[in-house]
Amino acid sequence: MSKLLQIMSYWLLLLYFITFLSYTYNFFADKKILRNIKRIFLFITLLFHADYLVERTMFLGHLPIVTQHETYTLLAFSIGFTYFVIELLSDIRGTGSFILIFALFFQIKSSLFIQDNYVVNSILENYPLGTHVITAILGFTAISISAAYALMYLLLYKNIKTNKFSVIFERLPNLEILEQLNFYSIIIGFILLTIAIILGFAWLPSAFPNFNYLDPKIISTLFVWLIYGIGIILKSRKNIIGKKFAKFSIYGFLFSILSLLLTNTILSGFHDFVN
Amino acid sequence: MDIVGISINHKTASVELRETLHLSNDEILEFIPLLKDNIFSEGFILSTCNRTEIFGIPKLEKVTYKDVQKHLLEFKQVEGLSSEHFLNYFSCGAVKHILEVASSIDSLIVGDSQIHGQVKEAFQLSRDLDFSGTLTHKLYEAAVRVGKRVITETQIGQGAVTVSFAAIKVLEKIFSTFLTKTALVIGAGETGELAALHLKEKGIGNLYITNRTKSRAEALAQKLNGKVIDFNSLTDSLDKFDIIISATSSDNYIIEYDDIKTMMKKRKGALTCIMDIAIPRDVNPKVANIDGVFYNDIDSLNIIVNENLRKREKEIPLVNKIIMEEMTSFFKWYNTLDVVPTIKDFRDFFEEIRRDEIEKIKYKIHDYEFEKVDNMTKRIIGRILHNPTWHLKRLSETGTDYEAAKKYSEMVRELFNLNGKDDNNEEE
Repeated sequence: MSKLLQIMSYWLLLLYFITFLSYTYNFFADKKILRNIKRIFLFITLLFHADYLVERTMFLGHLPIVTQHETYTLLAFSIGFTYFVIELLSDIRGTGSFILIFALFFQIKSSLFIQDNYVVNSILENYPLGTHVITAILGFTAISISAAYALMYLLLYKNIKTNKFSVIFERLPNLEILEQLNFYSIIIGFILLTIAIILGFAWLPSAFPNFNYLDPKIISTLFVWLIYGIGIILKSRKNIIGKKFAKFSIYGFLFSILSLLLTNTILSGFHDFVN
Repeated sequence: MDIVGISINHKTASVELRETLHLSNDEILEFIPLLKDNIFSEGFILSTCNRTEIFGIPKLEKVTYKDVQKHLLEFKQVEGLSSEHFLNYFSCGAVKHILEVASSIDSLIVGDSQIHGQVKEAFQLSRDLDFSGTLTHKLYEAAVRVGKRVITETQIGQGAVTVSFAAIKVLEKIFSTFLTKTALVIGAGETGELAALHLKEKGIGNLYITNRTKSRAEALAQKLNGKVIDFNSLTDSLDKFDIIISATSSDNYIIEYDDIKTMMKKRKGALTCIMDIAIPRDVNPKVANIDGVFYNDIDSLNIIVNENLRKREKEIPLVNKIIMEEMTSFFKWYNTLDVVPTIKDFRDFFEEIRRDEIEKIKYKIHDYEFEKVDNMTKRIIGRILHNPTWHLKRLSETGTDYEAAKKYSEMVRELFNLNGKDDNNEEE
């Protein structure tokens, strides 16, 4: 079974790579035939990924949210799925490669380093932990997507500003739409992180005897939450708009990824569930 | 095929010369009867600001393009034009040219969709004046089909190819809607009016006009349901506008770097797009360096125009493929023109014999027996004629061996005395 999971994990990486390539190729070449095929590739990848997650849950006997590499694959799925829904609802098809690159990045990290045999803390049998982790992952997904839209905003902004009417100018939606998508993604991310934090505070002290409010992951997540909260207020009051807001979104994302990496590698606390 | 025609267009003559030969609708109404009387049995005239095309089927074999040129020059009473200003066409070349015109690849701006409507109008006018015969009508159908197919099957009409549309294209990449935006057009001249019109068509929320001569601004504002602001206090109210289009004939900058800098402070960084389509420029181009300001002048907009024109030219091979397909289809039909009467006469000839013979037994047998014999003979004739009819049709429809089709058609007429039959009928 472990072998099967490993094979599936590599296949998944290949599927994400093919999907990303088809979106990127279509972005530059805009072939009529690829417009729908790339969406089918994404759909197949997501189906396969869902199956992989189910198989993994059944094999391990708990949700795949324990190790950081499990979290990465869940993040990849979450990004891919959220983009798929956005594309279906908005029919804006030119932004896929900018978002799916994040999914590919997380899946690469997961597929290459994920382990299937480890001893799991018994605390994970508890469902509130699943809800806490999943909302946190979805929150980070929304933040990743907002960064992708911010990146697109800056690229298009530069294109128009310098009169370079390249493929970026041709294919991307307009600046106002990109700014809106960026803002909405941040709001969704902020709400999900809020839920994750509330659930964490409500449940973790009773679940962990060594619970500590100064746990690095709690502090870093609170920082991320605070930064985005301030950003939302400033944006709503029109204090930061346009290019400044796009930059804020990218810096916020970089900070959250960095803090996630640091707390998962160097500064581990009670949030480590692998024995 | 006998179709003959001439064309004077942007490739062969200057705009002044084209203007002298341009035919208005009233002139076409007058000119077509003249052509009908003297040289063509059917045809059409297409006359736009960029071209005048006259095509038709000659009444007599000796009619050539020179006669068409002569009639046109005489009608318009124009001198100083030589044959080098005309392109002359006949037969396949004429059909190909008409389809190229209808496809818009022969237009001044490749892919200009205006030509589709103009071609339709030209053929309709010809029909209204009873100048459109079977051939012209078939040509009209082919031209309309080509026009439709190039729009749906190629990208020849895609992208902005005029400066004003390029400006709108840039604006659409910045703003998601124009409904909530406020625009200012500086200059109420022809260019300013066109820009204001485009904004209005795109549904701009608020439109302001300003002009050195206030009355002109007021007239344009009234026409487009806009408002007027005073030209002298222009720089004080710039912060109200999301879009500024400037098209005056001023020799100096009317908006300076500091004006825009102040404006952006008041706007708290909200995006502003400035389209400077005046020559010389109205806005100091340094404003492009200010954050949140998108500045475009004629040169930068021309980058879009040229890029789109290049893309359209890339589509020409696809359009040519469509033209070839429609030409093949047209000539398939045309080649059957000679064969169809032969087939009809051939079948009539056999039917007449059958009917003659069956009439002889009509009153000698019962009705139900007569009906059976009648049906049986019909089937026999049908089976006998199936192969020769099919072969004749095939020969003509492939269009590759028109001579063979003609030879077989003549042979059938000769063998069965089909021409003689006509004579006999006439004698009767």
